[in-house]
Amino acid sequence: MGEAILRLEGVCKSFGGVVTAKNVDLKVMPGEIHGLIGPNGAGKSTMMNLISGIYEVDEGKIYFQGEDITGIPSHMRARKGIGRTFQTPRFLYRSNIRDNLMLGVDLQDQLGYFKSFIGKKGSDFLKELDGLMELAGFEIDWDEDITAIPFGQRKILEIVRSMLGHPKVMLVDEPAAGLTTQEIGQARDLLMFAAKKRNIGILLIEHQMDLVMSTCENIDVLVFGEILARGLPQEIAVNPIVLEAYLGRDFDD
Amino acid sequence: MDKLKKAPKVWAVVVFLILFSVAVTWKMNNYTVLVVNMALINMITAYGLSIMLGMCGQLVFSGVAFMGIGAYITANLCSGRLGFYLPGYAAVFVSVALTGLIAWVAGVLFLRLKNSFCTFATLGFVQVLYVLFLNYEPAFGGPKGIPEIRTLSVGGFVFDSYKKWYFLLLGVVLLIAFLVERIRRTNLGRSLASIRDNEIAAQSLGVNIYRTRVIAFVIAGAFAGLSGSLLAQHNRFISGDQFSFAKSTTIVIMSMLGGINSTPGIFVGALIVTFLPEVLRGLDKYLMLIYGFAVIIMMIFMPMGIGGAVADFLKNMRRKHKIKS
Repeated sequence: MGEAILRLEGVCKSFGGVVTAKNVDLKVMPGEIHGLIGPNGAGKSTMMNLISGIYEVDEGKIYFQGEDITGIPSHMRARKGIGRTFQTPRFLYRSNIRDNLMLGVDLQDQLGYFKSFIGKKGSDFLKELDGLMELAGFEIDWDEDITAIPFGQRKILEIVRSMLGHPKVMLVDEPAAGLTTQEIGQARDLLMFAAKKRNIGILLIEHQMDLVMSTCENIDVLVFGEILARGLPQEIAVNPIVLEAYLGRDFDD
Repeated sequence: MDKLKKAPKVWAVVVFLILFSVAVTWKMNNYTVLVVNMALINMITAYGLSIMLGMCGQLVFSGVAFMGIGAYITANLCSGRLGFYLPGYAAVFVSVALTGLIAWVAGVLFLRLKNSFCTFATLGFVQVLYVLFLNYEPAFGGPKGIPEIRTLSVGGFVFDSYKKWYFLLLGVVLLIAFLVERIRRTNLGRSLASIRDNEIAAQSLGVNIYRTRVIAFVIAGAFAGLSGSLLAQHNRFISGDQFSFAKSTTIVIMSMLGGINSTPGIFVGALIVTFLPEVLRGLDKYLMLIYGFAVIIMMIFMPMGIGGAVADFLKNMRRKHKIKS
C-alpha cells in the first residue's frame, strides 16, 4: 500500500446542534474507488462539501497528497486536483454544452485570464474528449443548450467535465440517482476508466447497491456523521450494524 | 466549420454598419450626428455593464461614476486648469489607467458584497460622486463644470466636426465590442458565466469568484473611464449633472433593451434609448412614463432584450432545420 491521496483525520462538523460529522477518519488511495454509503441524512454530501471546501471543518485535518489543505479555499483545492460532481448536476444553464465542458478544460490548463485573452492555446483536449464520450456512450451537439439534453446525460457529462480537469481525486455524489440502467452502466464505465486507467482516487457516494458493490474496493458506512463500519464490499453487505442502520431493528431484540 | 456558421451574422453586422455610416455622412444633420455620437459614447459604458451584468450576473450602477471620473481626469488635463495641456490621446490613456485603478480599489471593497447588496453599494457610490462632482470646486469645477476642454487631435489631425468624431467613436466601439466578444470566448468569460449561473460549480472548477468579479469590475470601470474621457473631449464641456443616477438608469436600460448578453443588441439598444427622447420630443412630459412602461413590457415579453430575442429566434430556426434534415 502506497500513501493515501486523500486523508481525513478526526474531522468534525456541526450546524448548530446538528452534528453531521463526528470524528471522521477516511482514506482514499490513488486508483481506488472508495464507497461512502449510509442512510439519508447521514452526512455524506456534507463530507464532500467539507473535502472540497464549500464548508469549513470545525475540527480535524484534511490532507491531500500528504499536504494539509484544511485551511485553503475551495477553488484552490479544485486547482490542486480535487474534482467533484453533484447529486443534482451543476451546470451553466444559460450557456451551451461547449462552454460548460470548456470549464473543465480551463481547470486543466490553468492558463490565467490574460494569457488566454491574448490567444495562448491550452492543451489539445479533443482526443481525450472523444475517448471519454465513447465511454459515455452518446453523442451531443456542442452548440446545444445544456437544458436540451436529458437529465441522465447531464449527470454523465458532469463526470466527463470533472475528468477534463485532470483531477487526482474525484468526489462523485450519487451518480446513479435518476439514471436509467443503461446510463448507470455508462457512468460505471467512466468511473472504472477514471480509477484504473487514470489512477484517480474516487470517493463515491451512492445508494444504488449494484453500482457500489461492483465498483468499490472499500466501503465506509456513515450514520449520523459517524463511520460505523468499514471494509470490503462483501463484508459490509453482511455486517449486522450496517443492516440495522439501513433496515432498522426488530422490536423483540 | 465554426467560422463558416458564424459568417452570415458577421456580414449582417458589417452591412448594417456601412449603411448606417453612409446615412450618418450624407443624410443626417449635425445635430442628429451629435445624438448618434452620444449614443456611441454611452455604448462604451454599456458594454462595461454587459460584462458585469450580462456575463457575471451582477447589476452595478457604478458605470456612470467611473465615466465621470474618466471625464474629469481628462477635463483637468486638457483644459489648462492645472497650468498645462496634455495631448488628448495621452489624456485618454491616463484617464483609462487611473479609472481602472480607482475601479480596482472600489471593486475590492464592493465585490465582497453579493448580489443586491453590491448593487446598493454601487448606487451609493454614484450618489457620493455625483455630489462631489457638483460641489467640489478645486477638482471638478463645482456647479459650473469644466469648460474649454481641448478637442482631440492626433498628429495634426483635429477632430473638429461631429462627423469626424463619429468615425473615431465607431472605431472605438468596434474595438470594445471585439474585446467583449473575445472575453466571452475565453476562460474569463466562462468563469464569469459560471459565477453567474452556479457559484458552487464555479468553485469546484477552480474559479476564484472574488478575484474574477473584481477583474470584471475593473474592466467595466476602464471602459467607462474611456467613454468619459472621450465624452469630455467631444463635448468640450462637462458638468456634474451628466453623471447623475438618472444617467445610470439610462445606461442600465440601454443594456437591458438591447440584451445584457448581446454585443450587437447593446449597439441597437443604446441607439434606441438615446434617440427616443429626440423622436418623442413633443411628448416630453410623458417621456419617463413611456420609458417605464416600455421597460415593464419588455421585461415580460423579452427578458433578454432585443439581442436575446433574436438569438432565441435563430436558435429555434437551427433546431427546426436540424429536425428536418
